[in-house]
Amino acid sequence: MTLNEIRDKILHIADQTIKYARDLNIPAAEAYVYNLSNTNLTDNKGKIDSRDGLIQGIGLRVAIGKQVGFASCTGFEKETIKSTLKHAHSIANVSPKNPMFNGFVAGTNVAKEGILDPEILQLDSDSMIETCNLMSQEIDLSDRRLVSISYGVNFSYGGYAVATTEGCLASSLVTTYAANSFSVVTEAGDRKTAGDFVQGREIKPVEGISSNGLKKALNSLGSKAFGGSEVLPTVWEPRESAAFLAFSFINCVSGSSYVEKSNPWGDKLDQQVAVKELTLIDDGQNPESEAGRAIDTEGSPKQTTTVIDNGILKTFLFDKMFGEAADKATTGNASRGGFFGGIPYENVPNVEPNKLLIKEVGKNLDQQISEINKGILLTGTPIGLFTSNQITGDFGITTNDAFLIEKGEVVHPLKNISIAGNYFETLNDIRTIGSDREVSGWPIDAPAITYNKHTISD
Amino acid sequence: MEKDYVLDLLHKAVDHGHKLGADFVEARYDDLTLTTINYTNEQVKESSTKQRRGIGIMTCINGSPGYSFTPILETDALKETTKRALGIAKSTESLLTFKHKYSDRPIIKDSIEHKVKIHPMDVEFEEKLDMLKRGVACAKEQVDAQSTIGLWGELWGNKLFVNSEQSEIYWTPLLFDMRIVAIAMTETTQARGSDGVGQSQGMEYFKLKGKDPETIGTNAGKYCNEQTKAVAAPGGKQKALVGPRMAGVLAHESFGHLSESDFVITGMSPISDRVGEQLGSEHATIIDEGISEYGGFFLPYDDQGTKTGKTVLMDKGMLVGYLHDRSTANKMNTETTGNSRAITFMYPSIPRMKNTYFKPGNLSIEESVEMVGDGIYAVGTSGGQAGLDGAFLFKCSRGYLIENNEITTPIKDAALSGQILDFISQISGVGKEMDLFTSYFGGCGKGGQYPLPVGLGGPSIVVDEVLVGGE
Repeated sequence: MTLNEIRDKILHIADQTIKYARDLNIPAAEAYVYNLSNTNLTDNKGKIDSRDGLIQGIGLRVAIGKQVGFASCTGFEKETIKSTLKHAHSIANVSPKNPMFNGFVAGTNVAKEGILDPEILQLDSDSMIETCNLMSQEIDLSDRRLVSISYGVNFSYGGYAVATTEGCLASSLVTTYAANSFSVVTEAGDRKTAGDFVQGREIKPVEGISSNGLKKALNSLGSKAFGGSEVLPTVWEPRESAAFLAFSFINCVSGSSYVEKSNPWGDKLDQQVAVKELTLIDDGQNPESEAGRAIDTEGSPKQTTTVIDNGILKTFLFDKMFGEAADKATTGNASRGGFFGGIPYENVPNVEPNKLLIKEVGKNLDQQISEINKGILLTGTPIGLFTSNQITGDFGITTNDAFLIEKGEVVHPLKNISIAGNYFETLNDIRTIGSDREVSGWPIDAPAITYNKHTISD
Repeated sequence: MEKDYVLDLLHKAVDHGHKLGADFVEARYDDLTLTTINYTNEQVKESSTKQRRGIGIMTCINGSPGYSFTPILETDALKETTKRALGIAKSTESLLTFKHKYSDRPIIKDSIEHKVKIHPMDVEFEEKLDMLKRGVACAKEQVDAQSTIGLWGELWGNKLFVNSEQSEIYWTPLLFDMRIVAIAMTETTQARGSDGVGQSQGMEYFKLKGKDPETIGTNAGKYCNEQTKAVAAPGGKQKALVGPRMAGVLAHESFGHLSESDFVITGMSPISDRVGEQLGSEHATIIDEGISEYGGFFLPYDDQGTKTGKTVLMDKGMLVGYLHDRSTANKMNTETTGNSRAITFMYPSIPRMKNTYFKPGNLSIEESVEMVGDGIYAVGTSGGQAGLDGAFLFKCSRGYLIENNEITTPIKDAALSGQILDFISQISGVGKEMDLFTSYFGGCGKGGQYPLPVGLGGPSIVVDEVLVGGE
């Protein structure tokens, strides 16, 4: 099946579903039709896990005035769709009114679609094996410090369509490709891990992934204790910088938490929330990103939104319902399933960033390190980011992937250290925002960033 | 969907796999219904039902496995899915050094219906919403809440399994999860209190003493109120009494994952090749089992059709075993432990936990507090993370100071962190009261499969030293 045929199929099913809804005298309905072929292969020391299949289903919202019900089903079987519609209708019937709900997306209005790589449809398990072989050829397995190394390849293609009784009928397709490698190394009781990856909407070269990941892990061996507690500058590599910022930003830029009064920046609109060098953009229109789509998951066109402009909070991100509740327009941020990877058609829309981007400013990672008299370099994602207090901004995290910096040089790796501070304070105490933004696996891409002071201890 | 029709489909898939040259085939059917009610700020934010139905096929040829799945429950679609699974298995054979092979096992024919007095599917939506409303009302009586959240989740349905050994297994998963959360603002921060229950039981569970919606709501409000007056936890290394829920999360996240045989066999886990070593104190016994007398998640069979039993991972501090599927057990020349699980038919089964907990001891809560003397009592947790190097960090969301042998002042959020093997070696006493629970909101995550229902919990644990990060 070609991409165009997939688009025709999901649009047809979405349209048919709305016709079924009308036949069933359902006053208002929304069909979210999802169809994604996914293939995955992991080679972990010759232990192979492989999977291939079609993730296919429909999420149905039904409204009776302000009473809303949701039901979902797997597959596109006609009778199942009809019974799911009836079920969503019955849920709406017994649900109390939602005062914020003012109907589904009306009319069809689409933005720019991202890159589609038809070659991804031609990939098969043989090509994935070839990719794993390419990655493994870079590795010297005779190195006794290497305990374990894994290689993974994943590709998918498909998309979703949204139809509503209010006249929306639109779709968005995607092709994705990702490859990764992850190494575990030990020496003299020191145990370190590291990995590297590529991902995008097109097939990517995998050269260097496994050797870079292994090199990073090996460089972390020979770690020494930090010894004590000290307030120091911290320098974060781009992907680690993204991880660090993701957990606070996701809640702070959310229009739903703003409406529900659980957003710590709820009273900070048009106020300074970060250093003036920091500009944060939510990009739903980057053609190279998986988030760059024609519509969001309730049928609104995606867009690019400047959330923080030179340190000033300019807006929150909204879907239709929460936007209207705040007297704002949607910013095209209705998401289903979310970052943790729930099955999209099994979820009602929720406000989430498309892809947040920290605008690049000044110096790259090496330049930032060279300006530190004494500080810490973070090279891996710390443990505990999930448990940071999103209201107060207090965080206390721990990592085994850090180095001591002295007199502008990386001196040696460190054993486990803890890092403590406050997100809101540290955003206003950034020393340098880098020029080297990288694609991360997080909902935000960031360059290397140096913060003036965090409490380091072991 | 008729059970006999599906069984016939599964057998056809297995037969077709053999016709195409497969050495071994497993066919798995899930038909699950998941219901969610989210009652936020006394509005129904979400009321939904998800029907999750489909078939997954694992084929194996010359020790090489391949997995494929389909939501289309028709013979032709099943044959195509089986062909795809075998195609992957054949392709990946060249990479294989770890052969996916099973020990011989006799045919299993079993049908287990988890019978309860009042099944959640027989209870109307309005009644469940009313339980949330009653819980929230009780919470608000305890604290001037800025916002409240009531959550209801239920999962139930049918699972069928057929394999090349002609085994046929049918069982009926079931769980519910009810939670009440109260949030209040103080001058400087936000206070949060929550309570809930999650079990593989019928609705009659809510008639048990202390398990009714009113008590759950009252507790949430009370804990929230306590947090408005909480003091910062003392930082640094502390003696601690770790409550059942926090102990369960530690047993699961920190130790349980390291015991999963895929991590062990590939050398990813720091406890690989360490069976027989004394890794913890004599008070530390960690168990993983499918059906527990203490409650939790009801899991009679895993997704390779292995009957689940009780697996002792650590016995009085000594590492005695790992969590196996059939292939890792065969590779390591031991018995499978019934830990091969998949979140849905869309995924192959991989080594996962069942119900994981520290074995109870004989200390009363008073005796445990006295053992600590001065330190902290970490009761509730809002979760945490653990690494494959054994490092962990868990947030204590409800806790108290222990001063002069008494539980005294509530403490604010505090992080407990360290290395799990150090933590286990510091256990100096174990309580006798057990609390084993399961969850619909959240669960276990691994290999992109989240959230898998598991059970976790335990007794309270006395730890001589753990690093506490106060805020």
